[in-house]
Amino acid sequence: MTDLRRSLALASILAGTVATAAAAQNWPSEPLHVFVGFPAGSSPDTIARIVAEPLAEAIGQPVVVENKPGAGGVIAIQQMLARGNDDYSIGININGPLTTAPRLIPDLGYDPAADIAPVGLIATSPLVLAVGADFPADDIQGFIDAAAEPEAISYGSVGEGSGAHLTAELFADAAGVQLFHIPFQSYAEVTTSILGGEIDSGFMAPSAALPHVEAGTMKMLGVTSAEPFAQVPDVPVMAGQAGLPEDFRAELWNAMIAPAGTDPAIVERLNTELNTILNDPEVRDQLLAIGWQAQPGTPEDLAQRITGDTAMWGGVIDRTQAAN
Amino acid sequence: MTTLEGLAHGLTVALQPSVLIYSLFGALLGTLVGVLPGIGAMAAITLLLPITYYISSEAALVMLAAVYYGAQYGGAVASILLRLPGTPQSAVTTLDGYPMAQQGRAGVALFTAMVSSFAGSMLGIVILVALAGVLGRLATSFGAAEYAAMMVMGLVAASTIGEGRPAKSLSMVVLGVLLGCVGTDVNSGVQRFTFGQVQLLDGINLVALAMGLFGLAEVIGNIRKAERDGPPPHVSLRQLVPSRDDLRRIVAPIGRGTALGGFFGALPGTGSTISSFLGYALERRVARQPERFGQGAIEGIAGPEAANNSAAITAFVPTLTLGIPGDPIMALMLGALVIHGIQPGPMMLEAHPDMFWGLVVSFGIGNLFLLALNLPLIGIWVSMLRIPFRWLYPAIIVFVCLGVYSVRGSTFDIVMVAGIGAIGYALAVAAFSPALLLLGFVLGPLIETNLRRALLVSRGDLMTFVERPVACGFVIATVLLLALPLLKGLRRNGG
Amino acid sequence: MRRDLHDAAWGGVLALVGLAVAAWAAAYYDFGGLRRMGPGFFPVVLGLILAALGLLVAVPALGRPGMSRHFAWPETVGVVGALLVFGLLLNRAGLVPTTALTVLIASAVAPRRGIVWRLVLTIAVTALTWVLFIGGLDMPIPAWPRSF
Repeated sequence: MTDLRRSLALASILAGTVATAAAAQNWPSEPLHVFVGFPAGSSPDTIARIVAEPLAEAIGQPVVVENKPGAGGVIAIQQMLARGNDDYSIGININGPLTTAPRLIPDLGYDPAADIAPVGLIATSPLVLAVGADFPADDIQGFIDAAAEPEAISYGSVGEGSGAHLTAELFADAAGVQLFHIPFQSYAEVTTSILGGEIDSGFMAPSAALPHVEAGTMKMLGVTSAEPFAQVPDVPVMAGQAGLPEDFRAELWNAMIAPAGTDPAIVERLNTELNTILNDPEVRDQLLAIGWQAQPGTPEDLAQRITGDTAMWGGVIDRTQAAN
Repeated sequence: MTTLEGLAHGLTVALQPSVLIYSLFGALLGTLVGVLPGIGAMAAITLLLPITYYISSEAALVMLAAVYYGAQYGGAVASILLRLPGTPQSAVTTLDGYPMAQQGRAGVALFTAMVSSFAGSMLGIVILVALAGVLGRLATSFGAAEYAAMMVMGLVAASTIGEGRPAKSLSMVVLGVLLGCVGTDVNSGVQRFTFGQVQLLDGINLVALAMGLFGLAEVIGNIRKAERDGPPPHVSLRQLVPSRDDLRRIVAPIGRGTALGGFFGALPGTGSTISSFLGYALERRVARQPERFGQGAIEGIAGPEAANNSAAITAFVPTLTLGIPGDPIMALMLGALVIHGIQPGPMMLEAHPDMFWGLVVSFGIGNLFLLALNLPLIGIWVSMLRIPFRWLYPAIIVFVCLGVYSVRGSTFDIVMVAGIGAIGYALAVAAFSPALLLLGFVLGPLIETNLRRALLVSRGDLMTFVERPVACGFVIATVLLLALPLLKGLRRNGG
Repeated sequence: MRRDLHDAAWGGVLALVGLAVAAWAAAYYDFGGLRRMGPGFFPVVLGLILAALGLLVAVPALGRPGMSRHFAWPETVGVVGALLVFGLLLNRAGLVPTTALTVLIASAVAPRRGIVWRLVLTIAVTALTWVLFIGGLDMPIPAWPRSF
């Protein structure tokens, strides 16, 4: 399947070099379709819509956000690829389908390295380690001490293999502790469970924990980004604390992608427009309000992110699967 | 701010002309998508979301909320007239609504559905205002053990709603639970029964299942039959109005349905589909002649319709007071609030009283709109029954396809409906209950996930179901429900 | 005496489905323990219960008379065919041609002769669909085939 796609993609690049050079001049001559892997109102969808409006203005064509939710974003990538590299189908998706999905879903039907052309990173978000207000510790060191006995401390994630689960295992491995994993379906469920005293902690999106921290019913012990995160500036970074490595970092991200074989000139154009949009202070504020930090960059930066994260999370998956 | 001050304040927000207009528009659109099979509030809200970026946060939320509860009104229409549930939560309304329509009492059935929906919503608002604080705590005091025990009780209580042999009924419940197992297992991440289909990773689409089992099965069976029988007899205006006896019969079911729906709505993760099923089961349980159910019992419309509308209102409690959405539609609402810079949560009432009280009051106004809109429409809906079926069913098929497609933009789901429809028809011919299959499908995954989670939380200790008082209460109730028929039998034999 | 073949056949089918599900789950999914119940637990247990219930439906049915029930084969084929065509064509041909073809196929099994009313119905439903879903709800579906 992928071999066939790959050779088709290659063939189309070779055959199309001359033709597309001309086509790129007139691009775009029809609406651009953005395939989003999550339902309307979700954070990837909101990010896509924040970007879509100025993008439509910049390229002078409508940008149609198409929600194709399912399988953690994978369905949207499949549907984008099914339309072929027609230069008018792109995607905005999260890290999972581009990094961990090949390991977790046997019948994925695509290979991120071969079938996807990275356009650019859009925004990143760390996770916070949140606990109930009456948890005995107030910082990471205290949390690690409390977790000294294997499986004494439980944490909630948004599913086996989710960013939250893998981040927690990455943390546990770095801290040399064994946490007890309890999977949920959403951060809302994890939050309810922490508030109800059913589980001890959760690795979660800062915006999911923030209202309860403000109400005094939850505490945030640390954040997984390399720098303090602007939405929760007072929460200390985990890196370098309590024996955690200096380069400890785990981030979720959203990125713009295209099918492999999309005219490079068009990828370049999209990247330029995307970066212009992401450098607009108003857009940065909009993203931050929903818990995401704008991250302009080159297609190569995104490609490196994908490779780096694939290796890092692959290692975590190896360890958790071996443990089971 | 006291409750009265809040309501007065909310009135000033909700009576702004722009808010009123968006509320009316939402109610209209909600009714339309509710009537259309398959298309539900979720799809309509998704389509409307981009508009909300450009209007005030109050108008946006009021409009989306109106679509949400408006769809609950509309959902009953096709259920009663065509045995085609407009939305999954109105599937249970087909059980007695459709027989009533066949007996020439479609007008009364529709009237009952509308009035029960209205009463359920209005009483739901009272519950919301009076008990928001208590209900908010309810959400966090219910852990996995409570959910698991409660859902098992619900399943046991409701598995009698089908008619016929118990083994046939139970086999449908179990088949439903098994269908609910398809997809990625929440607890282990293992992909069960997906057979390499990535489209199945999130499980079988509920709307596809409901449309296939009810709507399409009915269409297939009706094409020739309707032609033979001809259109139903002409209904005069007087027959649209319920008799005094009808009215007397629906009062208590509305009260019970509202209370039940208000409770389940406030619990994240349950919601209006479960509320309407359990509302129906409750009515059948308390009825003096349960055998009337399924033959056109008016209580079987009033109870569930009041329950699902009441649940639709109280579903806002955890969303607004905890920032915890109970279902995908509430998650969408939450998203719409966050886009407008409002973070719902424990501080919501203090930080954004405009929003909270404006919404509460607008719920009332929106429901008044809906009642005023829907009662006159009853005559038109009933006259639609006079259109020969061969003119209707091709359109129904197209609408079902688009309705199912609207859920997540997947043509795979349409192909699924084709298969489910054929199986559903075959089951209907053999007199197996599709409602019980759907019930198992809705409750099964909740039971499995919460049972396994409860055992994870307790580290494998079954005593958790005994030590936690609320869970223990549900377990005892379940045992009683199971033992009751046996005890009755014993007494009859002994006495 | 005619046996209750419907219940007997369906009971048998359900029993087989239950057994197949249980066997598949037992073979491929971890059964787990009480502490961490595996993904196989529910399907195995419920599959076996379904198999037992299927037998309970089937065996008594063999011993009692039943009535024959009419199965509407042509209508089933027509309706299922119409749905399949819709599902498979929508993304390729666009909403308008797909709807028209679906209505034609679906109406083919209606018990009334004539082509004129079918064409009128096709045009009416297609127009209504366009008005409701593209014009009114503005759903993101192409109305016509994508340009070549």
